Amino acid sequence: MRDFILKRVAALLLPFIQMYGLYVILHGHVSPGGSFAGGIVVGLAFIAFTTIYGLERGRAKVPEKVTTLVESYGTLWYGMMGMVGVFKGAPFLANKMAGIDLGELGALSSGGLIGLIGLGVGIRVASTMITLFFTMMEEEP
Amino acid sequence: MTATIKSNLPVFVVIMPLFVAFVLPTFARRIRLVEGLVTATTALGFLGAGYLASLILIQNGNPINYSLGGWSAPWGIEIQVSNLSCFFLLMVAGVSLPIALFAADNMTHEVGGPQQTTRFYALYLLLGGALAGMAVTSDLFNVFVLVEVATLSCCGLVSSSNHPWASEAAFNYLILATLGSALILGGIGFLYIITGHLNMEFASHELNRVWQGYPHVVWIAASFLLVGFGVKSALFPLHVWLPDAHSAAPSPASAILSGLAVKGYAICLIKVLYNVFGIALIQDFGIHRILTLLGMIAIIAGSVFALTQDKLKRRLAFSTVAQVGYIFLGLGLANSQSLTGMLFHMASHAVIKSGLFLAAGAIIATTGKNRISEMAGVGRKMPITMAVFTICSVSLVGIPLFSGFVGKWHLLLGSLEAGNRLAQAVIIVGSVLCAAYLFPIIRVAYFEPTPVADCRDPGLPQMIALIMLAAWVIILGVVPGPFLELAKRAAIDLLVMK
Amino acid sequence: MKTLLDSLMVNYPYFAAMILFIIGAFTVLTRSNLFKKLIGINIMESAIFLMFIAAGNIRGGAVPILDKANPKALYINPLPSALMLTGIVVSVSVTAFALALIIKLYQFYGTTDARRIAELKKEVASR
Repeated sequence: MRDFILKRVAALLLPFIQMYGLYVILHGHVSPGGSFAGGIVVGLAFIAFTTIYGLERGRAKVPEKVTTLVESYGTLWYGMMGMVGVFKGAPFLANKMAGIDLGELGALSSGGLIGLIGLGVGIRVASTMITLFFTMMEEEP
Repeated sequence: MTATIKSNLPVFVVIMPLFVAFVLPTFARRIRLVEGLVTATTALGFLGAGYLASLILIQNGNPINYSLGGWSAPWGIEIQVSNLSCFFLLMVAGVSLPIALFAADNMTHEVGGPQQTTRFYALYLLLGGALAGMAVTSDLFNVFVLVEVATLSCCGLVSSSNHPWASEAAFNYLILATLGSALILGGIGFLYIITGHLNMEFASHELNRVWQGYPHVVWIAASFLLVGFGVKSALFPLHVWLPDAHSAAPSPASAILSGLAVKGYAICLIKVLYNVFGIALIQDFGIHRILTLLGMIAIIAGSVFALTQDKLKRRLAFSTVAQVGYIFLGLGLANSQSLTGMLFHMASHAVIKSGLFLAAGAIIATTGKNRISEMAGVGRKMPITMAVFTICSVSLVGIPLFSGFVGKWHLLLGSLEAGNRLAQAVIIVGSVLCAAYLFPIIRVAYFEPTPVADCRDPGLPQMIALIMLAAWVIILGVVPGPFLELAKRAAIDLLVMK
Repeated sequence: MKTLLDSLMVNYPYFAAMILFIIGAFTVLTRSNLFKKLIGINIMESAIFLMFIAAGNIRGGAVPILDKANPKALYINPLPSALMLTGIVVSVSVTAFALALIIKLYQFYGTTDARRIAELKKEVASR
């Protein structure tokens, strides 16, 4: 009962914090911020949840299995997006040269593969921050 | 398909180990699969490096340029496969394959369960990828990023050991190495401020055009880079982290740390000094004299410290400090013979020191004793391991027909060409001291009476790894041909002003 | 003397970076508390970041986001900032790794003082 206000406020605010983080990740190539900053915001939402609701409920939201998978395949996703260029006969990480339609300047799709790469990096950063936090919480002497 | 692979090979040799490293933790339950993947990745890396080297030898040393994302040099990040890159790539791949074989099914007593072992392998591949990246990159900021990746994975490898002092050694290493990378980043920053380029070729052009306007900034940049890379490659007065870290790490990790990681930073220093500053600027500023002096001090001091150690792995670690001295000495003498010798000695030391550390690891693992004085009679109980140890020791001393001789011979020729008598004396005294700290181990192992102890040679993959390294030592010593040719061309490339 | 002061006034970020760098390096090398060493490392890296970002700044330049109404405006150089973002990521991972090692050291030795750890280590070795 002691943390009543904190818990209610967190329940109201955390979804919006996560939305904001995802917004920053997805708009990384057309506005300030990017996948690292956005990923940190998303990760911080989970960290805030854990500090307010306790380690066990936090761990239940993001089990270790999930973080391991996201960390591994988030990075592999970057590699796969890079390989798109190679499969199209252009150099590694090629974007426009790989025949991706870059659309109109300033639009969300104008980044081509960069937006997709950013998504992978963003969730990877988020999950890394969460892993670091949990590791330090659990190892506390 | 093959054409695609061929044209993208320069980037594949770097990213393949990196991405495999990141996928490994998901297979932690099936440790056999992990070991297979690691071995396959290093073997593929070896094939790729060999192919690139043959390509470079055929086209007479013209570098292959590869622009990431299709953005060409001053704007994009460029990868350049030159003679030097091929040389270092071959060295990395040729040594990391036997080490991966040696580690297979042999990590439980030093690292722990499958979870920890998988993390060890992930760090191992990350280090391999970063070293391959250092070989091919031609972008200053990429140098910093790769140095950081390599540093963090080195510290991780050290701390992965369940030796009680590993954490402390890793922490000291981490703090000093981060100090070094801050200095490296600072040096790169100063270069960027005066040149406005991060690509090495363009930065070099611009630097040689404008340096008269900013002599102090160039001085500061050079000293930051020298101290930064000096800390990381354990140049003598800055080596304090190395003996603890390399002796506390698990044996395969010690092998790759002493054999390759230290040289990776040296290659970065060579690239920055010779490809960005250029030989003219080095001689104008007298950097080569500092390098020669530090190298000579490192050879003598490292050897003397090694003589006083009784723990086997610590003695080998101090020997690395001495051998790094040869690298810096060759860098400082700055003529084509000494640079050839330096590069060849780098490669042969990588092979030799990996062999020595792996053999030492096998001995320590089976006998449980880590002091040299307790190793009486090991030679008769573990014949093949000790034979590999002997071959590597003899080669490190520089006996003809072994790989160590070729490198030291060219270094001697280089010092003759430079007319530096002190350097000649130091090279020879260093060899004598090397014999003085390595041969007693062999004497104790073969000629002391055998105590009652049950120990025998390690399993099959470990034997293959040890024999492979011994074979490298002999092949490099008897028929150094194409490898020496690559080193010679790389040395000439370094001395030519672009 | 006047020109030196003038250049100091213009280039104050570099001066600040230099002071921060010296403070950081001094802390790393002289303090024996592991946390203080780590903080020193972070101060030192911040100094380098400051130097880099100051190098990319152009007085009166706009934020480097394409403004369609005024495409020829003077932008600051975005490259150093982007590079320093990478540098910050690296520094975060170094910090996290070092903290994890400090936790491990504390569990093993029961102290976070480097000098005390060295003494304990010597005691263990002599036994």
